[in-house]
Amino acid sequence: MRDLVMTALDAAASAGSTYADARAVLTTEERISVRTGRVEGIEHSESLGIGIRVIADGAWGFASTSALTPDAIRAAARQAVAIARASALTAAAPVRLAPLGVFDDTWHGPCRIDPFAVPLEEKLALLLAADEGLRSHEAVTVSSASLDFVRVEKVFGSSEGSMIEQSYVESSAGLVAYGMADGEVLPRSYPNSHGGQASQGGWEAILALDLLGHAPRVAEEAAALVSALPCPTTTTTVVLDGSQVALQVHESVGHPTELDRVLGDEAAYAGTSFVQLGDLGSLRYGSPHVSVVADATVPGSIGSFGYDDEGVPAQRADIVREGVLAGFQSSRESASAIGRASNGCARADGWNRIPLVRMTTLSLEPGTWSFDDLIADTDDGIYMETNNSWSIDDRRLNFQFACEIGWEIKGGKLGRMIKSPNYTGITPRFWGSCDAVCSAERWHVWGLPNCGKGEPMQVAHVAHGAAPARFRDIQVGVGR
Amino acid sequence: MRLSEDQARELAARAVALTPADEAEALVMANDVALTRFANNRIHQNVAEEDTTVSVRAVLGTRTGVASTNRLDDNALKACCEAAVAAARVAPQDADFPGLPAPAPIERIERVCESTRGFDAEARARAAAAIIEQSSVRGLSAAGAVSRADYAVAIVNSRGIDAAMAVTSLKATVLSSGTDGGSGWASWLACDASRFAPEALGDEAATLAQRSEMPGSLEPGNYAVVLAPEAVSDVLDFLGYLSFGAQAVDERSSFTADHQGERLLSELITLTDNALSAETIGLTFDFEGCPKRRTPLVEAGVVRGPVTDSYWAAKLGVPNTGHALPAPNPYGPLPMNLELAAGITRVDEMIASVERGLYITRFHYVNVEDPVRVTLTGMTRDGTFLIENGRLTKPVKNVRFTQSAVDALADVRAVGDRRVLVGPEEGGANLAPALLLGSWQVTGQTR
Repeated sequence: MRDLVMTALDAAASAGSTYADARAVLTTEERISVRTGRVEGIEHSESLGIGIRVIADGAWGFASTSALTPDAIRAAARQAVAIARASALTAAAPVRLAPLGVFDDTWHGPCRIDPFAVPLEEKLALLLAADEGLRSHEAVTVSSASLDFVRVEKVFGSSEGSMIEQSYVESSAGLVAYGMADGEVLPRSYPNSHGGQASQGGWEAILALDLLGHAPRVAEEAAALVSALPCPTTTTTVVLDGSQVALQVHESVGHPTELDRVLGDEAAYAGTSFVQLGDLGSLRYGSPHVSVVADATVPGSIGSFGYDDEGVPAQRADIVREGVLAGFQSSRESASAIGRASNGCARADGWNRIPLVRMTTLSLEPGTWSFDDLIADTDDGIYMETNNSWSIDDRRLNFQFACEIGWEIKGGKLGRMIKSPNYTGITPRFWGSCDAVCSAERWHVWGLPNCGKGEPMQVAHVAHGAAPARFRDIQVGVGR
Repeated sequence: MRLSEDQARELAARAVALTPADEAEALVMANDVALTRFANNRIHQNVAEEDTTVSVRAVLGTRTGVASTNRLDDNALKACCEAAVAAARVAPQDADFPGLPAPAPIERIERVCESTRGFDAEARARAAAAIIEQSSVRGLSAAGAVSRADYAVAIVNSRGIDAAMAVTSLKATVLSSGTDGGSGWASWLACDASRFAPEALGDEAATLAQRSEMPGSLEPGNYAVVLAPEAVSDVLDFLGYLSFGAQAVDERSSFTADHQGERLLSELITLTDNALSAETIGLTFDFEGCPKRRTPLVEAGVVRGPVTDSYWAAKLGVPNTGHALPAPNPYGPLPMNLELAAGITRVDEMIASVERGLYITRFHYVNVEDPVRVTLTGMTRDGTFLIENGRLTKPVKNVRFTQSAVDALADVRAVGDRRVLVGPEEGGANLAPALLLGSWQVTGQTR
């Protein structure tokens, strides 16, 4: 693929680009899904192509193709330059990129057991058995189980002289049992909702989830939800499990601190941000218990890599430090706008998309509490687990999340089960109400392989380290 | 330049011939798409893509497997076909699988416009500039996109299906924002780029932005609402996805399950999935190559449907309405071309009839809290106004709603007389009028 990249860079230079980069990417995927005892799909797919991004006349152009003959690649490079010149019709100031060194390197993600080499029969047998376990209770009439494996091999080259080869494997799995009552559908998932848990790694990551061991417990909880209490409409203390904290970090810290959103580049689609450039170092984002870091070096996380898709080395950066805004996630162009170096958050969803500012592994740092002590310390409230629904406004202030399951907390003990609890808040006020975060013992990296952003739509694979945390005076049972 | 319809059809036939299975189906999608994006009154992203993907479904008895590739050389294509067979070989028998569908006549509608195919980077940039100017001259900031899609789809199977169609579309969106919290939105979608008037689109958004400056607060509660077509389209999307697919009905997760033929919605609601409408875009056959049938989903408030594909039609013992998605899919068949029958009321007449309520231009980040009642939560965006005594009196900051679409559509007071094509340009779009609803639950507001 190095030759393809060199052909593209040479052609872009010949066509008049002042900067060019090219990414050749081969993505191979295997997905197996089972629903209520029926094999819904066994699918193998691959996609190979090259994307060529250029600056010409001070403006951006990008063209991509899956036709990989030298002539087709040269034509795409010329098209990218022509597109850049069209962009220049409205350009106010030429594009500037933050300075970057030159890298000639390779990077490979962790993978002990190649999941593509594990026989399909073995993978299917695991899913069918887990799916059967999900239906071990008569109240569960619908169930689903899925496995997904992705292998990415890519080569990045730039006109500045970098040439970087990277490869990694992602493995994910998820189970859902649906408690079906008259007029209600109550999902219960493991290890997480929305497709389960995704990690960088191989078949060993799936085995570690122990799907078979968890399926009966998931079924029991789904069945119990049918007769669980509705969520009361009140203002109370909320304790969120790690996976829900991860999504809360994603939506209300991750997106608002993407520098392209702050600068207005995503205004029409995903929106902007309540965070302003001048807030850096002064905005009280949350309580002193809230420290958030963006770290693309976390082993086994789907937010990790050696270099981002602009060739910037993976790194760790403070975003919120003890409650105060400490940084933005940036690309070379957005970092240049504030006079800084990129912190390596430019990522593209395949060969046919440009890099955008995306989360890597954005984590709430662990606190000091054990989970048992946290519950024991809570006199009255609700403990909620596993996201079921999420929504947040275009400036990332007003949010509303629903979870699959909750339990009353009364007198420091978990009590009766609550179905479909939801809560709402305003971002800085919510994080300001955080008075406890559990310790590293309960801290876990949750993979989210479904983060949508951009036009055309891009789906990023990001991750969040999080532990259970407590929030005071939260409005719950919204709209019930 | 993408593959032609004939080239796509030949490629699909080649894949079917290369698949050593009892039955085989190949779906070819050839795309040539481009999108020019602008923000802060300048083009900042400008992209183009050409790709051709072949997806093969192999059938061994009642076992199926799927593989896809965009590598079109003989070796890669053969490997793809063999991967589909290998997947089918390990799949268990599916007693409900009826075999691949047989051919049926497909209505031919011309949906390629040369004006759209030729809408190149310079044309898109000039359109973006015209849109931007409407905001910039008023001291506003424009963001949005102008995108062109040109694709060919071919489906061939070993039972004789041999369908191909090319489709073009042009879509433009614009958000115009002021410095005092006001913003406005406008969008346009059609097959034919020659009808596109970017200045008018830019003016519509900028005018709305000026009108919505200095928005105020609003107390939570139930309000009568006038939903503009774009907001209505969002509600229709969720209703179609959650309620009118055969799988949702069979699994009893749809409010229509066991209630077909009952009046559950307002008599003013007549909803049809109709890919054959002269006003819509997209394919006239589904992703199995079966003809998309005009399918009533709600007739004067009485629920009908659901939509089916070959699998669900056989399983439920009902006709195949032609709503298959590409195999395999976890959702079952879905309606992709919803059209809500127009009414007789103009939007200004709707507003005039409301004593106290809201006018909502569009929604943002809507998600599902309860799939059965289609209870949705989301925000309003880019033009939310208080209606008092029949007049739009003041803009309000974006509000959060938590509302069952089923309940809301049971209390429809008026349906707009003019419909707008809204949606993604690929796969279909909705024809939606404005609606006046008796009650819509506002549960919060942003700062």
